[in-house]
Amino acid sequence: MSAPDPLVARRVGRGDGTVALLAPTGGLWREGPPLGALVTPGAALGRLEVLGELRPLVAPPGAAGLVVARDESGLARAPVDYESVLVVLDPDAAGSVAADVVAGTEAMAAEGLVFRAPLAGRFYARPSPDEPPFIEAGQEITAGATVCLLEVMKTFHRVSYGGAGLPERGRVARVIAQDGDDLDEGAPILALES
Amino acid sequence: MAVLFHRLFVANRGEVAARIARSCDRLGITPVFGVSEADRDAPYTEGREVVVLGPGRSDQSYLDPVRLVQAARQSRCTALHPGWGFLAENPAFATLAETHGVTFLGPPAHVMHLMGKKTPAKRAMGEAGLRLIEGSDGILTGPEEARAVADEVGYPVLLKAESGGGGRGMRIARSAGEVVAAYAEAQAESLAAFADDRLYLERLITGGRHVEIQLLADRYGHVVHLGERDCTVQRNHQKLIEESPAPGLDPEERAATLAAAVSATRAIGYVGAGTMEFLLDRDGKLRFMEMNTRLQVEHCVTEERARVRTEQGLVPLDLVEQQILVGAGHRLAFTQDDVVLEGHAIEARVNAEDPRKGFQPAPGRIERWHVPAGEGIRVDTHVADGYRVPPFYDSLLAKVIARGATRDEAAERLAAALEGLVCDGLPTTAPMHVAILRNADFRANAYDTRAIPGWPPAEAG
Repeated sequence: MSAPDPLVARRVGRGDGTVALLAPTGGLWREGPPLGALVTPGAALGRLEVLGELRPLVAPPGAAGLVVARDESGLARAPVDYESVLVVLDPDAAGSVAADVVAGTEAMAAEGLVFRAPLAGRFYARPSPDEPPFIEAGQEITAGATVCLLEVMKTFHRVSYGGAGLPERGRVARVIAQDGDDLDEGAPILALES
Repeated sequence: MAVLFHRLFVANRGEVAARIARSCDRLGITPVFGVSEADRDAPYTEGREVVVLGPGRSDQSYLDPVRLVQAARQSRCTALHPGWGFLAENPAFATLAETHGVTFLGPPAHVMHLMGKKTPAKRAMGEAGLRLIEGSDGILTGPEEARAVADEVGYPVLLKAESGGGGRGMRIARSAGEVVAAYAEAQAESLAAFADDRLYLERLITGGRHVEIQLLADRYGHVVHLGERDCTVQRNHQKLIEESPAPGLDPEERAATLAAAVSATRAIGYVGAGTMEFLLDRDGKLRFMEMNTRLQVEHCVTEERARVRTEQGLVPLDLVEQQILVGAGHRLAFTQDDVVLEGHAIEARVNAEDPRKGFQPAPGRIERWHVPAGEGIRVDTHVADGYRVPPFYDSLLAKVIARGATRDEAAERLAAALEGLVCDGLPTTAPMHVAILRNADFRANAYDTRAIPGWPPAEAG
């Protein structure tokens, strides 16, 4: 069975310099990126359920920034209209790098499925020193789930799982990056069971 | 109170959406409008729940079955009214809605499918006892058979595409010598336009009148008719004026056809409101043309005449309400004997078109809008001051319906109301309607489908 074609969100610039990503059609939206997540072109924005079919939803070209606002229904499956605002991105909040980062998540055949750092920064596996890590080996991971924090120029960015070439749902084989590592853009963070 | 739907999805726009919502309000049902971006801020959506379907162009909004049914589902509607036009007669849409647990307010998909096909529909209606236009028994095998059938029914004849529509794939043969060429041309046009080269043949009836019968059926085989309507005043198959009763129709022919239409409706297992269209030929005989498996634009003409006898006395009949009740599984609460048809009703369709410039459509903004009220006047419209007529859809602005004890009284009331219509910013067809309604040939009932009585106006001097 082939996976359904992804839907591409629509992008609209707003007066205040932020960018809104809009639903390309109506449906029930789920697994969207949380507040603070970094979104890059082609990154997963969750899935849209249309008459029972789950269609992956991805960010359009030119959409990069941190999620500063999102659908506030709080529902696991939020009904959205055509051109409902799904998330609002702030390109500046992600630092100057965000504008031109490419989603660093291309899976490489040699290493199996790998989730890579979307931008350079210091890797933190847990929300705060005394809390458990976001992700551990053996755990199931779905698109939109938080993987880590990356500290870039004194600001923390929440990185969520997803991107071109990666499955919507997978199992973590190994967490490659170590807490506190300084990662380059594209450095591997997670290895997934393929 | 009867068990009904709580929320009903309106898969249409404009005038019919407003019309459906009115019946919902009366029944205590919450209507939810599916709207395109072009309609999201239209006055008729004010204070209503809406789901935005897609952009203004209808193939990505009102003509997209998946978007419509998904919108109905996510707005928690358990029934869907398709209105008219768009997907109202699309059996695949009805099936998609029903598959996803949304009741389609119309006949079963298989009946819609049968009536949507020309020769099977004709055959079914012939078997059920309706008089047909003489012609071939189904699809023609070739020009030789066309010639033989034409010789039998008499010239001129019309060669018609099985998949045709909008006047395409049709050719007239006026004599035996023209049949082969007409057959080839109709076939080529049909193949190009509809990817189907099947043809059938009918005797060409010129100068007829268009008469239709309003029917209503529940799921248990109870069928009533609500009288007929005459829709002879047309332009390019677009109806301009509709009225009931049909003037000049022989009472015996009327009674016989109404009875036959009721039994044909029952025979095909029809459910809901439907209309059978007939051609009234010069001998005064009604011949079946097609069945429209939906609510019609001109249903108001029937509503203005129909009353139902109940314990509370005579009460008006609301066709949309009946569609909803029947769709929810209720029996018709009355029989044919309880239906009373009174007086005369005439409807004018006011379109945003300039009748003096070849009926050119005129989208744009209406600065000020007013239709005068008056005795026996009903106005169905979605327009209000400041309404912007979108360029994507049909040009219907309003229907003005007048009731009177006689045809002349109804015509005069309607003309007077239309004279007072104000639509600043756009031309409308109202002046044409006034000219028709005051025309001597219209009043004397001396016209047919070939020409509009009283329009264009005769040059003065």
